[in-house]
Amino acid sequence: MTPMRLKGKSAVVTGGAQGIGRAIVLGLAREATNIAVADLQRDKAEEVAAEARNFGVTAIAVQTDVASEESVANLARQALGRFERVDILVNDAGIFPQARVTEITEEIWDRVLDVNLGGNFLCCRAFVPSMRAQKSGRIISIASGIAHTGAVAGAHYAASKAGIVGFIKALAREVGPDGVTANAVCPNIIDTELPRSHRTPAELHERLVRNPLGYAMQPEDLVGTVLFLASDAASYITGQAVNVNCGTVMI
Amino acid sequence: MADIALITGGGNGIGRAVALKFATEGIAVVVADWEADAAEKTCAEIRINGADAEAVRVDVRRAGEVKDAVARVLDRRGTIDILANIAGGSFYRKRLEELSWAEWKEVLDINLKGTFLFCRETAPAMIRQKRGRIINTASNYGVTGSALRTPYSAAKAGVIGFSKSLALELASDGVLVNVVAPGPTDTPRVMEGWDPEARQKRAAEIPLGRNGTPEDIAEAFYFLSSPASAQITGQTLHVNGGWVMP
Ligand SMILES: NC(=O)c1ccc[n+]([C@@H]2O[C@H](COP(=O)([O-])OP(=O)(O)OC[C@H]3O[C@@H](n4cnc5c(N)ncnc54)[C@H](O)[C@@H]3O)[C@@H](O)[C@H]2O)c1
Ligand SMILES: NC(=O)c1ccc[n+]([C@@H]2O[C@H](COP(=O)([O-])OP(=O)(O)OC[C@H]3O[C@@H](n4cnc5c(N)ncnc54)[C@H](O)[C@@H]3O)[C@@H](O)[C@H]2O)c1
Repeated sequence: MTPMRLKGKSAVVTGGAQGIGRAIVLGLAREATNIAVADLQRDKAEEVAAEARNFGVTAIAVQTDVASEESVANLARQALGRFERVDILVNDAGIFPQARVTEITEEIWDRVLDVNLGGNFLCCRAFVPSMRAQKSGRIISIASGIAHTGAVAGAHYAASKAGIVGFIKALAREVGPDGVTANAVCPNIIDTELPRSHRTPAELHERLVRNPLGYAMQPEDLVGTVLFLASDAASYITGQAVNVNCGTVMI
Repeated sequence: MADIALITGGGNGIGRAVALKFATEGIAVVVADWEADAAEKTCAEIRINGADAEAVRVDVRRAGEVKDAVARVLDRRGTIDILANIAGGSFYRKRLEELSWAEWKEVLDINLKGTFLFCRETAPAMIRQKRGRIINTASNYGVTGSALRTPYSAAKAGVIGFSKSLALELASDGVLVNVVAPGPTDTPRVMEGWDPEARQKRAAEIPLGRNGTPEDIAEAFYFLSSPASAQITGQTLHVNGGWVMP
């Protein structure tokens, strides 16, 4: 395969300290992209940035709460200060505390919506102006198949993820004239801490392989799609939700 | 060994761009088209750069011709790893009550039946090797509809439904089936029919401010044929500058 031509670009990856976000950070580093790893977890974000530097790129960790205006403003200062331009924003930070509708407290509702959807808004708002100014940019948000299917004990999560898809479409229309694209990636279930936290290993395995391909998706399996959407090869794709899910959901 | 791709409609427009893209990625291409000269011309362009290409004349609507064409390719090449069904088009802009049965059949057969026939003949080779990629071509009109294009919208929506079912059928054989849905794309044939003012107007409606190029679409076909998309099946990738966001 020819390289993705991402060499020397700069990216911000929220939620990059572990799981899918970490895999995306390392995938970008392999393509010689400089990276800011933004995550609530400072130490883990530092470790991932160090791993990225092993590929010879500049990588920094910025402790960030994507649901906080001040924290995201700090992230933008740090990233733009260090790299001068940010070409790629990956919105990956997300949480899924399972609860049935009747048990969702206002606190849980607000936190899920603030992190998963509000985090997209705050981060896009922080990085879009510089992308517009440079007449190029790629925004890639990790949504979820649950945006389309819903899930028991996941009404707040489904609302936030479907919200991301709607948000990305509107944003794509706003920023398109400036050469910026915005797309979402919708995985089904992937083997990370997030589903591990509410399943036994046996339950998790059964869920992971329950798809037409019978394949248990790992965080690395989203990297190819994210790199494609970040590259020149996808310069005419915007406002789309790309399902990477072994055929579970087809829309 | 290089992968082998069979590309229908590879003589012109998007199919030609896909053949050129695949060839630059080291894939051996078989260009299938009923315009034999056009298919030959695409292959000649590829061979100039030392890559492997051969042309096959076939009308995708004719079961016998498709069967023979695929059999000959399998005979010579041993297998087909990637099938890109691109032959198609809308052909008519007519109100429903003005459409003849023959016109309806023509549009359905080229876009949908041709896709079915090539999938049917090629799938066994892919199943045998437990590996393969099928990429069919729809259009945003298959999702949104379009006045004066009833048969085309029906055919392209049909391609999407067909591809989902085939994806489910072939999943356990390691064969992935996806669809590329191009938006307005400046192929030579489309450009002939457009007056420049209408083209400008259309481009202004598109968030990215321009019509697509055959090369834009070819990148999506290549992505769906590559290891980067190994967990994607049954999906439709819309490449339209944000014109349609289903
Ligand atoms: N794993 C799956 O099955 C799956 C499926 C579909 C979608 N997703 C989505 O993929 C994304 C990544 O999930 P994962 O599976 O890697 O989960 P994970 O829990 O392993 O990682 C999430 C990361 O986000 C960080 N984070 C959480 N809240 C944050 C905040 N307020 N600010 C900054 N960082 C914060 C966490 O510290 C963690 O490092 C999420 O958006 C998730 O909803 C995951
Ligand atoms: N160009 C666009 O704006 C656009 C938009 C959406 C979808 N599409 C789809 O993309 C595909 C390619 O379109 P294009 O614009 O490149 O068209 P094109 O007319 O430039 O090329 C189509 C090719 O298919 C071949 N073909 C047609 N009927 C055939 C048959 N019966 N048997 C064998 N070959 C046949 C033609 O000879 C030609 O080489 C079509 O499926 C079309 O519906 C195109």
